[in-house]
Amino acid sequence: MKTPFCGSVEHDVSRRAFLGTVLTGTAALIGQSSAVHCFAEPALTSALKAQNKRVILLWLAGGPSQLETWDPKPGVITGGPFASMPTSIPGVHISELMPQMAQRLKHLCLIRSLNTKNADHGQAAELMMRGRIDEASLRYPDMGAILARELARADSKVPDYVSFYTATEGREMSKLTPSFLGARYAPMKIAENMTPAHLHRTAGLTEEDHFARAQLQEMLSLRFMEGRDIAPAKSHAQAYARVHGLMSSEELFDISKEPTAIRDKYGPTLFGQQALMARRMVEAGVSFVRVSRAWWDSHGQNFETHQEMVPELDRVMAALHDDLQQRGLLENTLVIAMGEFGRTPDINASLGRDHFASAWSAAMFGCGVKSGAVFGKTDKLGKKVEEGEVNEGRLFATILRAVGVDHEKEYHVGARPIPLVNPGIKPIVEVLA
Amino acid sequence: MAIDPPKFKVAKELSREDIFLSLARVPGSERVFLGSSDSNVYSLDGAAEKLSPVAMPGHTSYVTGLALAGEQLVSGSYDRKLIWWDMATGRAVRSIKKHDKWIRDVKASPDGKLIASVGDDMVCRLWDAETAKLKHELRGHEALTPTNFPSMLYTCAFSADGQLLATADRVGHIVVWDVASAKSIATVEAPGLYTWDGKQRIRSIGGVRAVAFSPDGKLLAAGGIDQVGNVDGLSAKARVDLFRWEQKESAGTLKLEKNGMIEFLTFHPKGDWLLATGGGDKGVIAFIDPAEKKVLSENEAPMFIHKIVLEEDGPRMFAAGHKKFAVFTATQDSAPAK
Repeated sequence: MKTPFCGSVEHDVSRRAFLGTVLTGTAALIGQSSAVHCFAEPALTSALKAQNKRVILLWLAGGPSQLETWDPKPGVITGGPFASMPTSIPGVHISELMPQMAQRLKHLCLIRSLNTKNADHGQAAELMMRGRIDEASLRYPDMGAILARELARADSKVPDYVSFYTATEGREMSKLTPSFLGARYAPMKIAENMTPAHLHRTAGLTEEDHFARAQLQEMLSLRFMEGRDIAPAKSHAQAYARVHGLMSSEELFDISKEPTAIRDKYGPTLFGQQALMARRMVEAGVSFVRVSRAWWDSHGQNFETHQEMVPELDRVMAALHDDLQQRGLLENTLVIAMGEFGRTPDINASLGRDHFASAWSAAMFGCGVKSGAVFGKTDKLGKKVEEGEVNEGRLFATILRAVGVDHEKEYHVGARPIPLVNPGIKPIVEVLA
Repeated sequence: MAIDPPKFKVAKELSREDIFLSLARVPGSERVFLGSSDSNVYSLDGAAEKLSPVAMPGHTSYVTGLALAGEQLVSGSYDRKLIWWDMATGRAVRSIKKHDKWIRDVKASPDGKLIASVGDDMVCRLWDAETAKLKHELRGHEALTPTNFPSMLYTCAFSADGQLLATADRVGHIVVWDVASAKSIATVEAPGLYTWDGKQRIRSIGGVRAVAFSPDGKLLAAGGIDQVGNVDGLSAKARVDLFRWEQKESAGTLKLEKNGMIEFLTFHPKGDWLLATGGGDKGVIAFIDPAEKKVLSENEAPMFIHKIVLEEDGPRMFAAGHKKFAVFTATQDSAPAK
């Protein structure tokens, strides 16, 4: 069996594997009568795809503390040592560790009332990336796969879905998969380096030879398709075109092309560099980019951990916000910052906070969400949601709606309708623009 | 010389919801002051049948340093403030906000004339204990770690003669200062107390959390946690590094049996042993023979101990820790070495 291009840790990303998987996946999909038909639908040219909506997910793996970020509780026994600071929204405070985001809070949408009930890393990561629990016989596509499917243009020359995850801890926990949507919507995973492996031409193959081969492939493909209307053949040709696009977008992965002033804003850390890369990608047309910052799991020394990591998050989010805004990309790009859960209000003997899914926070900015919205409220000690409790499904539906995707839409796997979110799940309309 | 480190048992304890992070004791008495995570300094009569701490409000975050310099009680907090207190009334006399970031530790010189404070602005400040006038700012620690994250200046300690001061940070950089001239006279490194995990979790844990000079000032002990495989918690051995700082050389490394972090170190007045306390999920009290470089005894404490004070010539120790204050007393079969 061919290994997937996107691969796990063991499976290197490569354009050859990428091509192989796309073709294999396509063939398997078409040959499987129950699979959803991905390639020949009018929606490919729909208005939504024409709008070039994009999503960047800052995936805060391991679970950052809501108390040390978006929902501080200074002065109570659970509050921890950090002060809160006023923001650009009168009366709303966030942690003192986020001064840059405090200034920009009027552009943000905060949800402070997530109760997702599952505090196991792996299960919670899957839950947040899918918005629901898989069925025994059905694995749902993850958020990136759905949004790539709904937002990406068929003729895109860049990947539809890219996922950065450099730390090894928790890397495979989300189990990102396009499932029945097919391999086209699988993420290109970038783990060890800033760029996909084997992006460059094979040594010894000249640019001319490479171009000539592409032309020959295109000619043969067109000749084969003459008088035929065969989806696999079209898909085959598209896959080749996308690989060539990927190879020609080598500069996309080279952030040294960015002005020093821009790079400085994102900071010198890997998370900052990858966030800058994400901006370059959405600018180039990638529909969904997940930039993971792991690992926040601060069972011991929670405050030192957050003292170390939150200022980095603050800097990166602020840089990303400003950069997208200045380039006019913010109106078409949704940025989400969340982990799989939050952390306990109770402080343990090692001055740590443990897993906590009962009352935690997520932040968004950009297209489709209200600027300056603060939704939900936790109690005085941060132990439970007091107002506006929402779960993973409602957040997932909200994200879909924010970028114009009908959350009530259904895919069809054979005769079976598969809704994008579970029936009855509604988006949080209060935060939608 | 045979060394018989004291064995202690809990004689009295006070359980709380807050965390006691700092401690000072009025010499010759059972009166102690505790710095709490609820932002208060507490005055406590340890001799009372029922331990009833009296709050002294003034800070707005964790109170991490308390020092008695003669008649002066000085507290330092994550709120960046140093507060001078009237011990009789429990009222704040003056409040100074000079550190730009968290204050991590406050110590008094043995003669009671100076107060040293260290904070995450990576500056050690020396104050006139009586007038609160700033005398010196000692700068010898980098603000960022080698991987560009904020560093932290955790702790400081005077030598017994008051002529030396050591300051120590997150990455294990330790500076020895000549107090009179406020000049750095030596540096030693304890990188084994700092773990940067650049692959699995891309963050760090550790740092030098306690330093202490031997009575003759020749030996410097640094406490913390050994190299950690999983930086999510304190899952490595509590560790003490010893240095002959004048030679800038290691004098040995000791690892306890228990996992955790050493947060307090003090030498026996004659240097017979070194007391190391701290903890992880549970507390630990260990006595170390610095000459033989071996752990003499290691016992579980009822809580993670953040600070401890030994009675000058008596059998007791007063300890501040996680949700608890405790008075330990020597068991009958072992009196504290003098």
